[in-house]
Amino acid sequence: MSAFAPRSDAELADWLRSRPGRVRLMGAGSRVGRAAPADGAHAVQLAGLDAIERLDAPDQTCTVGCGVRREALDDALRAHDLELPCPGGGTIGGLFAADPLGAASHAGHSPRSLLLGLEGVLADGTAFRSGARVVKSVAGYDVHKLFVGSEGRLYAATKLHLRLKPRPRAESWFAHDGLADAEALARLQALRAEPVAPAAVQLRRDGGGVTLVGRCAGRPTFVRAQLQKHALTESECAWSDHLTAPTGGEIVAGLARASALPGLFAALPATATLLWHGGGRFEAALPDAAASDALLKTAAAHDVTARVVATTAPARRERGSPTDPGAAHLAAALRSALDPHGILV
Amino acid sequence: MAALESRLRALLSDRRVLDAPDALLAWECDGFTVHKSRPRAVVLPESTAEVQAVVRLLHQERVPFVPRGAGTCLSGGPTAGTDAVVIDLARMKQVLRIDADDQFAVVQPGVVNVELTAAVRHLGLHYAPDPSSQTVCTIGGNLAENSGGPHCFKYGMTQDHVLGAVVVLPDGEIARLGDAGGPRPPGLPDLLGVFCGSEGTFGVATEITVRLCRDQSAVRTLLASFASMADACRAVGAIVRKGLVPAALEILDRATIQAVEASAYRAGYPADAAAVLLVELDGPPDVIAEEADEVRAAFAAHGALRSEEATDDAERKRLWKGRKGAFGAMGRVSTDLYVLDGVVPRSRLEEALDGITAIGTKHGVRITNVFHAGDGNLHPNIPFDGRDAAETARVVAAGHEILRLCVDLGGSISGEHGIGTEKLDHFGMMYSAADRDVMARVRAAFDPHGRCNPGKALPSRGACAEPAKWPQMVAKVLDAEKPR
Repeated sequence: MSAFAPRSDAELADWLRSRPGRVRLMGAGSRVGRAAPADGAHAVQLAGLDAIERLDAPDQTCTVGCGVRREALDDALRAHDLELPCPGGGTIGGLFAADPLGAASHAGHSPRSLLLGLEGVLADGTAFRSGARVVKSVAGYDVHKLFVGSEGRLYAATKLHLRLKPRPRAESWFAHDGLADAEALARLQALRAEPVAPAAVQLRRDGGGVTLVGRCAGRPTFVRAQLQKHALTESECAWSDHLTAPTGGEIVAGLARASALPGLFAALPATATLLWHGGGRFEAALPDAAASDALLKTAAAHDVTARVVATTAPARRERGSPTDPGAAHLAAALRSALDPHGILV
Repeated sequence: MAALESRLRALLSDRRVLDAPDALLAWECDGFTVHKSRPRAVVLPESTAEVQAVVRLLHQERVPFVPRGAGTCLSGGPTAGTDAVVIDLARMKQVLRIDADDQFAVVQPGVVNVELTAAVRHLGLHYAPDPSSQTVCTIGGNLAENSGGPHCFKYGMTQDHVLGAVVVLPDGEIARLGDAGGPRPPGLPDLLGVFCGSEGTFGVATEITVRLCRDQSAVRTLLASFASMADACRAVGAIVRKGLVPAALEILDRATIQAVEASAYRAGYPADAAAVLLVELDGPPDVIAEEADEVRAAFAAHGALRSEEATDDAERKRLWKGRKGAFGAMGRVSTDLYVLDGVVPRSRLEEALDGITAIGTKHGVRITNVFHAGDGNLHPNIPFDGRDAAETARVVAAGHEILRLCVDLGGSISGEHGIGTEKLDHFGMMYSAADRDVMARVRAAFDPHGRCNPGKALPSRGACAEPAKWPQMVAKVLDAEKPR
């Protein structure tokens, strides 16, 4: 793919207006393996739109270029005792476009709940705004919410208005590895039963057993009490927001309630890895198509939505739970409305 | 014309199709009483299948329709034109499923907000969004408006609590957006996210899956009175700067306090105060005990005249009674009440309130304020007599300037009530023609023929079947403002 790296929103809009042909939007490339090949498309590298345009500490909001890297934003926020209270790395635009965590959950915030508005550019070069910079606004349709999880296929978001939260006075990551399925699920259930759940929680199951990862945050007394009550061991942050497909293997992603986890675990071969976020989104790295199909079958039996999102066999992409026809129709209509010529791939 | 009503009766039964002029009176407006219009007919379906059958028929006959919950909206959103059929969802009030383990519920759209919490209270769960009208408003209406409430400072808006919806689209087809697992299945855009807050213009939600939250182990409710509004606002800033995230941070001004204390919502607020600040903390008892100390310190540091804390649930309810009843109390003051809901950055609250006072003085109208201080979500209330055209015009002009002020301070024209018909003419303060065009494209993806709640939420030329009185008045005032 040929590459273009705009240095401003206006430059991107001008370039798109020149009708360059098919375009793939990219951030830092940290999830590039997920996307279907786009032969002949121009790669647009947005990592250069990396200015923190506005950081309003008293109002706990900011506006950042889509190419701002997570670490850079975290550093800037730390100086004001603030944080973007959801895990996930890469560029901010890439994180929101990928939406690795799913809905806001009992286990903390997700990108979806933190996006207040944005400035964007349609595939035809039309610049537009949606939402607001304040923490609450219901004026106009929330076109910005469509960016979350869109993988850059509806429009380019060049600036994002984000809600921030106070940095907790104490925080502690914990990780327990080598747990048996039953023990891990029991520990998860105990954490979920707390009125104040951990600020983040994740299960990772692979051949070595299950690892329970999470973050307790709040007042020092509370964090200490929560660690003690649940016998949680402090550790370095072991969070990961996505998996990489093994050679020749596939990634299946979906939405699963906690009660469906035992069934999914039981369907995994020993060589597979499953990552489940507290928000309900999960993904599994599977060694081959047969293992994927077995997991998809189990998912269907447990009323779990799942599909193949990364594979070496293009024909198998999107294999999985049937998409609701009405939702599929709306998704196609939206894509056609915002990008009628199918420029963004 | 009568043929349509007959066919609707064949679908639902005689008693669930209303078209006699007197019977339609109750549907001629919502909480935005300035805009009144009697619909062509009202239908009362009881299931998704019935809604689908009705919408299919209306689509086939090219008749516009308007979904409606309890009609508590304050921006004219569910007020129908004279050619439109209202699909009233009040009879769809079943809680279909409660799953305590996975913490979700599936409800029909007519379930009243507070009744959902009542249905799950025995499980130690609750539904968090709590608009002031929660004893009446419905979950379907909350979804359409992306409703907030006093506790959304900590817990978020409706959008943060809705996991899925079964939607009858404007052509009668059904779409399932998200489910109990989450709002956005992989491979699809966040259809539910954009549906939420679309003011009934994208379709009719007939089953809604919502997230349930665990009850906190303790709650503390504090009230402080201040000699000036500025002191109260600064106390809010101090509380937030400390890194506290109270469940609620609410302010009432002197005029609202006096109205409350003279009403059935009397809460014992100090009548001599210029403002009272209501703060609610929830969480583990030891944690909120420390937080309460910090809140009291912020009260003291900003000159609180006095403060009190509820010692039991009855006292907590008393302190909230005045806040929750503030709009009702204001309703006693005059025949009409214009309730605005602009938002400003929290740090600019003082500036906004000073500006609102000046605007009231300039236009000779009385403006009172009760607001979600944590969110910067103002509720300037303007009591007036709608029979007095001159006074009404001054109210319109003042409202217009207040929303302009909110936008100029970096905020929004609506934090909770939506655009409806009320703010169609204010839309351009926030959005350009290009922004509006992109939104129109999204709307057309859901409703290509523009028959689902036409003339609401998004200004569009020729879309409004019957132009509303209020926007016409606003337009007149705006026209008068133009330089000659």
